[in-house]
Amino acid sequence: MSENSSEKNRIYLQPWPVRIWHWINACGIIALIVTGAQIRFPESVALLPNYKSAIDIHNVTGLVVSISFSFWFFYYKMVKNTLDKLYIPDEEDLKHGLVRQLLYYCFWYFLGRPSPYHATPDHKFNPMQKSAYLAVMFVLMPLVGLTGILLLNVTPLRVLVLMWGGIKFIVALHFLLACSLLAFLCTHVYLATLGNYIKPMLVGWEDVEEHEEKPVAAPAAIPGYRPVRHYPEYEVMQHEQRQG
Amino acid sequence: MRYREPICFITLSIAAWLCLSVSGEPGASAFSYGTEAGKNDACLACHGDPAQVSKAVFIDTEHFNQTTHARIGCEACHGKVPAAHPDGGKVSRAGCGECHADVDQEYATGLHVKKTSCNGCHNPHLVHSPKEVSGQEINAMCSNCHNALEMTAKHGEWLPQSELHLRMLPCITCHTGAKEYYISMYIVKSKNDSLFGKQEVAGYGELKRISGGNEIVSLIDKNRDNYVSLEELRLFNRSQSSLRLHGMMTPVAVSHKFEILDDRRNCTFCHTSGPALMQTSFIAVPEADGSYSRVPVEKGAVLDALYGTPDFYMMGSTKNNALNKIGLAIICGGLIMPVGHGFVRFLTRKNRNTKEHKS
Repeated sequence: MSENSSEKNRIYLQPWPVRIWHWINACGIIALIVTGAQIRFPESVALLPNYKSAIDIHNVTGLVVSISFSFWFFYYKMVKNTLDKLYIPDEEDLKHGLVRQLLYYCFWYFLGRPSPYHATPDHKFNPMQKSAYLAVMFVLMPLVGLTGILLLNVTPLRVLVLMWGGIKFIVALHFLLACSLLAFLCTHVYLATLGNYIKPMLVGWEDVEEHEEKPVAAPAAIPGYRPVRHYPEYEVMQHEQRQG
Repeated sequence: MRYREPICFITLSIAAWLCLSVSGEPGASAFSYGTEAGKNDACLACHGDPAQVSKAVFIDTEHFNQTTHARIGCEACHGKVPAAHPDGGKVSRAGCGECHADVDQEYATGLHVKKTSCNGCHNPHLVHSPKEVSGQEINAMCSNCHNALEMTAKHGEWLPQSELHLRMLPCITCHTGAKEYYISMYIVKSKNDSLFGKQEVAGYGELKRISGGNEIVSLIDKNRDNYVSLEELRLFNRSQSSLRLHGMMTPVAVSHKFEILDDRRNCTFCHTSGPALMQTSFIAVPEADGSYSRVPVEKGAVLDALYGTPDFYMMGSTKNNALNKIGLAIICGGLIMPVGHGFVRFLTRKNRNTKEHKS
């Protein structure tokens, strides 16, 4: 990042490979939901002209999303080496961050208080995002992809299909995982409208407002409150402790 | 009173004649076309012995005796056996169309007529009625000419999972213009009893052994009323570990036109939930003679009952409704945040506007 004053208030939050992956994923998952609905409920869902086109688009999109998922994993794990740091909640997140974020979404937001969390390139996600993405990216997505690949190759992978419990079980799992992804998608899109999340995912940069740079006083009124790392108050507290 | 005895005699004679006429419908097991059946033995004495005749004219007696053709007798088709037979003179042979005129006419308009005659597919000495064959046997006939790999590749140009489709469906399901279909279920068994072994149609001997010498159908039809309820079907699927049921959609009336029908390329012809086409079903139970007998199954979405089958599922058709409800509940759960939070967000919008103005 440049040091000059004109770019001082902008942070490069989403690198281009992540942005490309995200939008491929977004379009892909929507296409998969639409075609998947037609495949499961052909008598009531007919968004595509025929069943076969729904199957073909579902299969191709499923493969595209699976491949793009593998690239995403490779990029964060091998190239940036920040996968664990970004997606696995640490002890502080679990002890305090989750509760604070939940309180923000459930109460503080409605009272007009600012978000307790501010994204940085190394800590892009708040504790709730981390936990949700951990489940989505490390459980839901791989499982829905694997079950999809098994269903796409029932004959050649027959032994694997049976080891997983048979076609019927895999279809059930694939369907329930897909429903969970759709449920997540609803929440994900809605929460994106709460903060400044959509613009960085389009252009990469996030504008950081002036007042966010200033130390924020700890909301002492909340019982059991203790500032955690990554939050502005944490630095204040550290500073005060050093001062004695 | 003196006419009483002759009147009784005449009445009884008429009644006996009527009874015989009714029970003697063609196709009934007790029916005989006359005395010709008795003469089969004379022919089979030579033609049933591979040591005496060439392979071309050998007749497998055990199988032949179970066919409808055996009941009408050899001379029904081979009427003019010359006195000099077997040393001289050709034995006459009736054309299939003489009895099966309607099939013959239909076949003449189809695609196969230029390729082969009836004998190309049906050995007249082994032929069974459509009710007595399993779906897989029908395909075995087709594969005499149509190489399975070639057909898989050809269908794969437009049909997803073509190998699976060709393995699970009789060819005639798509290649006849039948209007009515039923589900024909047959018992399959894993090779070497392995869970992952390839599943093959279970033979008579094997099933007889598994059923402990009882009738094979008793494996499924527990109350032995020769009728399988959906509950009995579910129970069979749950209780059996090595045996499974596979369902095949089969036309009620098999046409011999073998058309290529565009509407069969519409996947929803089969892949829709519980269509009327899939409400009638039978279980094909193997018999000692190599044929199959049909046991009727309760009407309903029978394929939905095959929950225990590990590798049978028909996308869009055999879905589980309980699972659909769970899926819907999950999606509704995902909508709680946007709807609930969004509503409170709308109500408290003034709080955020005030703060923004202050800052």
